[in-house]
Amino acid sequence: MIEVKNVVKRFDGFTALDGASLSVPTGSVYGLVGPNGAGKSTIIRHLTGIYRQDEGTVAIGGEDVWENAGLKARVAAIPDDWYYFLQSTVRDMMRFYKGFYPQFSMERYEKLKEVFSIDEKRVIRRLSKGMQKQVAFWLALSCMPDYLILDEPVDGLDPVMRRQVWSLVMGDVAERGTTVLVSSHNLRELEDVCDHVGIMDKGKVLLERSLAQLQDNMVKMQVVFRDGQEVPADLPVLHVSRVGRIHTLIMRMNAQEAATRLAVYDPMLVDAVPLTLEEIFIYELGGADYAVKDIVL
Amino acid sequence: MQSKTSFSKYFNATLFRRNLTRFWPLWGMASFAGSLFPLALLVQFLRDEDFYMWNRPLGFTEIYYYAAAYAVPVVSLLYAILCAMLVWSYLYNSRSVGLMHTLPIRREGLFFTNFLSGMAMMLIPYVIVGALCVLVSVVSGCFDAKGLGVTILAVLGLSFFYFATATAAAFITGNVFALPAVYFLLHFLAVMLDWLVCTFSQGFIFGLTGGYSGVVEWLSPTVYLENHLRVSSTYEEVFQRAELTGTGYYTGVLTSVEMENLWLIGVYALAGAALLVIAWLLYRRRRSESAGDVVAVGWMKPVFRYGVTGLAALLGGLLLYELFWRSFQEGRYYEVLPLLVCMLVAGAIGYYGASMLLAKSLRVFRGSWRGLALTAAGCALVCAGLHFDVLGVADRVPEVSRVEKMTLYTADNNYTFYPGEDEALMERVRAVHQAIVADRNYIMGTTGQEDWRSQPVIGDASFHVTYYLSSGLKVNRNYYLPISRQRLAQEGTYDNLLDSLVNSDEMKARRIHLNDARFAPTGGSVYVERQNAGYDLSSRECAALQAAVAKDAAAGAWGDYQWLDAERSEEYALSLDLSFTYTDDEGDTSRDWISISVRPGMDNTISCLKELGFITEADLVTDRELYPGDTWEMEEKFAQEMAAVESTDVIGGADGPTTVYVTG
Repeated sequence: MIEVKNVVKRFDGFTALDGASLSVPTGSVYGLVGPNGAGKSTIIRHLTGIYRQDEGTVAIGGEDVWENAGLKARVAAIPDDWYYFLQSTVRDMMRFYKGFYPQFSMERYEKLKEVFSIDEKRVIRRLSKGMQKQVAFWLALSCMPDYLILDEPVDGLDPVMRRQVWSLVMGDVAERGTTVLVSSHNLRELEDVCDHVGIMDKGKVLLERSLAQLQDNMVKMQVVFRDGQEVPADLPVLHVSRVGRIHTLIMRMNAQEAATRLAVYDPMLVDAVPLTLEEIFIYELGGADYAVKDIVL
Repeated sequence: MQSKTSFSKYFNATLFRRNLTRFWPLWGMASFAGSLFPLALLVQFLRDEDFYMWNRPLGFTEIYYYAAAYAVPVVSLLYAILCAMLVWSYLYNSRSVGLMHTLPIRREGLFFTNFLSGMAMMLIPYVIVGALCVLVSVVSGCFDAKGLGVTILAVLGLSFFYFATATAAAFITGNVFALPAVYFLLHFLAVMLDWLVCTFSQGFIFGLTGGYSGVVEWLSPTVYLENHLRVSSTYEEVFQRAELTGTGYYTGVLTSVEMENLWLIGVYALAGAALLVIAWLLYRRRRSESAGDVVAVGWMKPVFRYGVTGLAALLGGLLLYELFWRSFQEGRYYEVLPLLVCMLVAGAIGYYGASMLLAKSLRVFRGSWRGLALTAAGCALVCAGLHFDVLGVADRVPEVSRVEKMTLYTADNNYTFYPGEDEALMERVRAVHQAIVADRNYIMGTTGQEDWRSQPVIGDASFHVTYYLSSGLKVNRNYYLPISRQRLAQEGTYDNLLDSLVNSDEMKARRIHLNDARFAPTGGSVYVERQNAGYDLSSRECAALQAAVAKDAAAGAWGDYQWLDAERSEEYALSLDLSFTYTDDEGDTSRDWISISVRPGMDNTISCLKELGFITEADLVTDRELYPGDTWEMEEKFAQEMAAVESTDVIGGADGPTTVYVTG
């Protein structure tokens, strides 16, 4: 389990994390979303032991992360701007990682060589941005981590490679129970892979839920009322839109309850439509002064 | 709870190897460049004229010691910062610091592994060069284990010290370009501040002189080591006979070589260890996010800001003053207001420059008035403190009881006094010193006038006295004094006291150094104006002339020092300087010389000069005789008129102040 509690981090007077808390259950894939500057990378740098918090606790598997070499040997991280030595080849970096991570698997490395199809003797600096990202995944997954922390991991990867990479990560989660925390400023990116989601803004985690919880808590209903009737004012709706005679209502309740409430008005048509993760977040945070636009665009 | 790790806590072989393989161009090039030294040595020895060096281990040892004492400190100073810039480079980039601090290794592991990598990079070239040197010396039959051992120790100590200081500097800053600046500042700040403080002080305080005191030189190790590490070689003269011709000759044979003050390297190595501990403590508290910051340690930021401001105010203020005001200045002392303005301008530039570097932004002006006010207050305090001499430095004339030794340079000669032997003379020197201090306004007022030296009634004299105190401190004062005929005759004035002192029998005897075992005649020079030729004196000729001058002094024909130029017209157109080696009680030696004015009546000196073949009777002419002309008559007439001056006054006029001479 990854646990961050009330973490505060200040940089020269600027508060980057302002009491952020999150909790990632073991074996889950946790998506951390938020607009640029929300504090996602800062929280990830705490989790990987780069930054030390001013206040609060940062723990993985119940152990403090800071200066915990034993714990960090079980954590692999891919930052948004992965660093490699200037003249090094993939093989050089493999040797470097192998010298630090006791669980580093050469067998896995060799297998992944087939997946990524990158010449390991090539100097990394000369690879494209997407290929460099693939190398980062190749090495991180070869470390056989119990915890995988990914910051904007698929930026620069083509759609095919994105699927490939996610399939590898999901394989690890399924087979080895790897816990994954992945940050992104794009919610659509995480929709298919995350089972838990947290949303950050202005240094705080505003909300974190499992996907099931989220979907159970909100519903999108399509309704056609009789005689062109408008949406009754007493209905608790978060958002209303209308195309022709069809009203689309977003309501904070489950589908059953919504259908019961609408039945009172004897509508011509009532239908529950699945909400996208994106819509859930928009309406969960709608009305508040959050940069929701940045998350979904 | 911290996890247990099977990894070595302090060392990671992968990182060590990686550092050495990544940075091999540096140590490889250093090794190559260093290897040229033993190769050059070998080539030198293979040449016929240096063949005599074969089978002489001490000759090799001497070369090693010279390299270790004079070359290794400078080479290590430069090379250490290059190594540090490479091994600690990861601290200065957010991406690289991210990778290194994500790795499963504690900071002590990173610190010691990187430090050892850097030390290895420092030592590999020395090992290669040393091995080649050993090879050359073994091949030539000159292997000296002791010399090699001492050299290895010196190189190890120096390498450790310099890399430790570079490491300490590396943890102060977060910017790779700031690292060498911080490093060299740390190494040379003490001598720079010494120079600045001395330069400033002498521009304000009456009698202070010299741009550098050396009091804190030990804080600038390279300078201190270069000045104090010494190679002491002893040569013995042996008589040898050439094999082919059978001709006998004397040759110097090296009998022993020692490196003096080798312990200093040990002390600096210990200081290096202390700096290393500080560096480690800084690393433990270092924030990764400081990558890119000029100063990475929070509490050092104000130190940096105001340190740069202070340095800029002093150094820049001095520069601006020299550029814009020096030519308007009267006398040698600074004028407070213009200097203060220059300091304020330079200080403000330094303050904003430092603020911009710290903030990594040009927008630092808002709310900066407090810092500027502090800078202004600091500059004003420094100027006021020095101008009003709040510490009473100018008035300080140490008691004889506190003095271990006193040296005096005046009337073109040097004197050294010791309390046990020369107490009466020392008191007289003090009396002159006190009179000078009491008359400072007159001296500063007179010497501050542009044309004061053109007045024939006034001559000039230097009075440079140094008191070596029992506490180990030194009081050093240097005065440039106007000497006037009236004041020479007026009791209690420094002119009068100085004249009585210099022309006393005791001082005349001292001046010639006869029968003083501490002064050994070494040579000198004679310049004969009529011949337009100069001659160097041997030690024997110097001793002969010293004895001749002493006889003339005893006969009363030499020793009276003439303060006024007008009274020197009777001197012969000869320049005679005798030089000596002075050896003090600690065995330290220095050079000393006497300037002898040869006048009619100095029969012993003149006949000695003739006997030695430097002059003939025809050379005994005065400047006036040699270069006759109206100038001399005009000067004499003017001198006579001025001699009759009873008083002087200054009146105002359309062309500015005019000095009026009132005669009887």
